[in-house]
Amino acid sequence: MMQAKEIMTKEVVTVSGSATVAEAVATLKEKGLRALIVEPRYDGDPYGMVTETDIVYKVAAHGHDPKKMHVYEIMTKPCIVVPPDLGAEYVARLFANTRIRRAPVIQNGLLGVISISDILKKSDFVEKPKSDFDRYCEENPGAREARMYDD
Amino acid sequence: MKASDIMTKEVVTINGSATVADAVKLLKDKGLRALIVEPRYSGDPYGMVSETDVIYKVAAHGHDPKAMRVYEIMTKPCIVITPDLGVEYVARLFSQSRIRRAPVIQGELLGVVSASDILRKSNFVEKPKQLFIEDRIDVAREEARAVCKAKGETSPDCAAAWDVVEELQMAASDQRSKQKKTDGKSSFEVYCEDNPNAKECRIHDD
Repeated sequence: MMQAKEIMTKEVVTVSGSATVAEAVATLKEKGLRALIVEPRYDGDPYGMVTETDIVYKVAAHGHDPKKMHVYEIMTKPCIVVPPDLGAEYVARLFANTRIRRAPVIQNGLLGVISISDILKKSDFVEKPKSDFDRYCEENPGAREARMYDD
Repeated sequence: MKASDIMTKEVVTINGSATVADAVKLLKDKGLRALIVEPRYSGDPYGMVSETDVIYKVAAHGHDPKAMRVYEIMTKPCIVITPDLGVEYVARLFSQSRIRRAPVIQGELLGVVSASDILRKSNFVEKPKQLFIEDRIDVAREEARAVCKAKGETSPDCAAAWDVVEELQMAASDQRSKQKKTDGKSSFEVYCEDNPNAKECRIHDD
């Protein structure tokens, strides 16, 4: 199974929580991105994220002035993060279970961002879906046929 | 600005009976995030299959995309919008129904409008447009009347309440005049914009 780090987008742009929404929009447009990462302010502070959906749902939908609103008012923080060695299928399942589309990939620092587009466009889920046997073993880990012999 | 001003006109459709693998290939080849499923007969609704549907319902479970069909994962009927809906109302509709994309339909499929289109092509940063401002003016006016009755016509609270009404009225007239400037241009003004050197369009300053 391909891992998150193989399909993630490595170009990541960060924004400060105190920036205005208008600044975030300008950065998103300029870089052609759908989300910006809000880095922790100090050790132990979580990662955050602000997406184009946040901006459309929470600012444009109410006619608020983006020049007068700040990123911290609309961002998701803490946000769900993914370790770089998580398999693409588990990233997909995590996304489906939590109804998210994008998460930063973190291990001792920000490595990238992984999105549903990355899974769709770069992973091998079409060429290598799980076999029926794999699925059976996952559902019945105690079954005799599902045992793994390591030697 | 209206939905038709910002929508993406390049739309790709797919049949509900196609396999998910076919849909993935189309999405990849065309660089799209969703495909539209056209009605099968008159009265049949529009449908949509998005990148999210594929990942949440197929990839997340390790199902074989070659063995699954679009109709098993698509959203049908899907929410559709008309081309003349204001961009701020498109955003409001998306936010309230938690969607990110909708086909633009009037008689036929004209395009697709997405949250990205709103972010990238609309003028919500330059010209934030307050919704329901006329309703807010009514509410503020009622509140001001109540405050003045309770605290007295000459009280500072009464004056402040009417200031709120006045501010809202100014914002409303500002929005209206901006709209007039862009939408209600006379054909002469449009002509002169296109032909600034024409004799009739010269402005004499003396």
